[in-house]
Amino acid sequence: MSLDRKIAYIDLSTGDIQTKAIPLEVRRKFLGGRGLDAYLLYNHTTQGCDPIGPDNALMVSGGFLCATCASATSRTHVMAKSPLTGLLGSANMGGFFSPEMAWAGFHHLVIKGKAEHPVYIYIHNGEIEIRDARDLWGLSVTEAQWAIRDKLGDQEVKSMVCGPAGENLVRYANVMTGIKNAGGRTGMGCVMGSKNLKAVAVRGTMDIPIAHPKEALEFNKRFIDQIVSAKVNQTQGTLGTPFIWGATNSWGGIRTRNFQYNQCEYADDIEPERLDEIATETMGPYHMTGCFGCQVHCRAQYKIPDGPYAGRYDEGPEYTSQGAFCGETDTPRATTLLTANHLVDQYGVDNLEIGSLISWAMELYELGIITSKDTDGVDLRFGNDEAVIEMIDRICQRKGWLADALADGGVAASKKIGKDSFSYLIQVKGMSNLHSDERATPALALNIATSSRGSDHLRSRPAIDLYHLPEPVMRRIYSSPVPYDGPLSSEHTEYIGKAWQVFWHENCYMAVDCLGICKYHTTFLGATLPNFEDWAKVIYYNTGLEFTPQEIWGVAERCNNLERLFNLREGLTKDDPEKGDVLNHRYHDEPARRGALDVIGRVIEKDKFIKMRSELYEHKGWNEDGLPTPETLKRLGIDAEPSHLV
Amino acid sequence: MTPEKDGISTAESLRSTRTYGKIRCHNPTCMERLEPKKGDKTIKCPTCGMEFRLAWVKDGFPRIRGPVWETNRKIAEEELSRKLKQKEGK
Amino acid sequence: MAKALYIDYQKCTGCRLCELVCSVFHDGISNPARSRIRVIKWEAEGLYIPMSCQQCQDAPCMNVCPVKAIYMDHDLERIVVDYDKCIGCRSCVAVCPFGAMNFNVYDRKVFKCDFCDGEPQCVRFCDEKAVDYVEVDDVSILKKRNAALRVSRAGKEASTLMAQI
Repeated sequence: MSLDRKIAYIDLSTGDIQTKAIPLEVRRKFLGGRGLDAYLLYNHTTQGCDPIGPDNALMVSGGFLCATCASATSRTHVMAKSPLTGLLGSANMGGFFSPEMAWAGFHHLVIKGKAEHPVYIYIHNGEIEIRDARDLWGLSVTEAQWAIRDKLGDQEVKSMVCGPAGENLVRYANVMTGIKNAGGRTGMGCVMGSKNLKAVAVRGTMDIPIAHPKEALEFNKRFIDQIVSAKVNQTQGTLGTPFIWGATNSWGGIRTRNFQYNQCEYADDIEPERLDEIATETMGPYHMTGCFGCQVHCRAQYKIPDGPYAGRYDEGPEYTSQGAFCGETDTPRATTLLTANHLVDQYGVDNLEIGSLISWAMELYELGIITSKDTDGVDLRFGNDEAVIEMIDRICQRKGWLADALADGGVAASKKIGKDSFSYLIQVKGMSNLHSDERATPALALNIATSSRGSDHLRSRPAIDLYHLPEPVMRRIYSSPVPYDGPLSSEHTEYIGKAWQVFWHENCYMAVDCLGICKYHTTFLGATLPNFEDWAKVIYYNTGLEFTPQEIWGVAERCNNLERLFNLREGLTKDDPEKGDVLNHRYHDEPARRGALDVIGRVIEKDKFIKMRSELYEHKGWNEDGLPTPETLKRLGIDAEPSHLV
Repeated sequence: MTPEKDGISTAESLRSTRTYGKIRCHNPTCMERLEPKKGDKTIKCPTCGMEFRLAWVKDGFPRIRGPVWETNRKIAEEELSRKLKQKEGK
Repeated sequence: MAKALYIDYQKCTGCRLCELVCSVFHDGISNPARSRIRVIKWEAEGLYIPMSCQQCQDAPCMNVCPVKAIYMDHDLERIVVDYDKCIGCRSCVAVCPFGAMNFNVYDRKVFKCDFCDGEPQCVRFCDEKAVDYVEVDDVSILKKRNAALRVSRAGKEASTLMAQI
């Protein structure tokens, strides 16, 4: 069963490969996926290791429930020390990679060292080989995957690759699988590139017995019914993630012109309904596609309708691409969006980071902090569609002074650019913010400020806070599986009780990442989607292991604390503008200028924000400085790390 | 403990709270429930005056596509200058 | 009246849940290699086609079987393997024009779609209804309806073009 999937330690410098079973004790403490990756990272790297050196360890994993009879267990998690932030690096992607890896016998890989020349790892039914990839180096994300299939003569092989951006050590390069499934943020593709590792290819036909197959099948049906009947997933299954744009842009939650406005006006051409039209025109009425075992099917297929890349096939675009290539840069044109989306998919680079940095450079250009001499003549004005496309090419190829600087990430670039460029950089812990504007939503602001991999909406975002749920409904959600009788507010502009919501979602998302299930199948965008209670059943039916919802919560808390320990070890302090739990000053100083009546004029009030942050630390069992207390570590059984259980 | 085999979870019990055919006004302090008529392309919130363009996921399933740009810009500029003045006045 | 699987590949999202539930239902194991239905993909074009047994009337697998282990079960209009007779020679696997007869390397047995004895799990789990279980004589009328709609749309588009000229 999935409990007997193994862990493999692969040293690319020596070619040494070891495989081990994962002890039950480790499963009970960390489950798998992101949680166990965090444990492995803490144990298999040493303080201060060079993120792009051979000592960094790259973890690749499937979740605990990967490829079992549970819904949407497609998620692949990748972890290492981040070359972008120097702190925790972590990326999560859908697709078909990790289930195939589970059928090939493995749940976790720990890849260390650096190969002498480009290689790829081929894993098939329990066997692991390191193979020559010199002929694959330089190929785009999809070219590389199809070439591997042809080399191996097997069209069912699934690969996880780094694109040209990873090879060029762009600090926020992605790992990618399929057409566009992207393990984005924190530069895990850069770590692959630094190890001369072009790809991990997997193919497996090994059995994963289900502990209680009849019950697992029936419960899965019930679980799926609950998921597909949610309005949010029906919308998402029709329009994809761009559906979020509609509401967010109309109330004023889209960062525009870097951080000058909070609404992208006259954006009709990139609204989800328009994108849906393009997908229908180019791919027919049934153009939605999904990841392994998922009935939400949130990804559209499209062909670029016009422009220099007309006719190219791709998938998406996602909500993040809309913000990165249209909102922040103020270029709301479908052709720009679809072209940029295609380019980042092929280069294998983080759409969100690259778009955000381009918009930052645009603001610096308009302010005169950088000039056309720095840009090699690229006219980096807001609203210049061609400049956006040109800069993506340049950054991924590190062409020119500015592009080369930007390829090293915002904080490093701000040191090269100098002046007060850093104060315009919208980042947390060295990672650019999503294009969302959190000035009217303190809970969301607290989430991005405190999330473990830098500014991130997928770590603890209480997105349902925007739905103004009645208080009794909120109380039912947030007082399970552990009791909570403190304040809660349905008002999303409030600061009261929000710390608990962030804490609750942080544990919810950690648990779902440990299990390897997609976040659209839990309390993320929809209030009526499954969480802890339902997972206890899914785990039992599929693996026979008994967990209470409270125990799953405990695993999540433990793993979140491990991530914190890693960050603290690598130099996080709570008020450090580059590595701390703080927001750019503009959140506090510049009032929102657009959007719904009540959003206009809002800022995040700093004193209330700091108070909310302290509350969050308290919920987590951390002290005023954001350090886990010895009691907390003892309670969670991680007071003697690194403990080297695996 | 063996997980309870039957019994519905919190998430499942909350299913009955879902509402269909309605949307909420996007002004956070308003959040009026609006119920557009089949096929409507725009809707104006009777409570706060904001105006939105509508899209339909399917019959009986409306959603807000975006604001009516002209109305939106006008309201935003007036409201921002009012609030900034109010702040200076303090 | 007997039913048949009606596969409308255009609706397939490529998620492969059908493969998962098929193998879990029949063998209690998650492994697409044990699934009776497989989604064949051309990812570069976004094309996904679920392939399963057609339950042929004049079934090559049935005809080729040297020990007459394969027969038509008229209650469910399905082709069935009698494992008491089957010698595992795999002639049926070789001859099937759709690749729908499979060989399981773990149990060393051939296997094929059996409609899950009347409630196909692939159909039950496919929210898109890319795989459906319908009356045999409804298949062509459903296809006619879809084709007619396309003809009508094409006609409308053509008349718009004419009007533009």
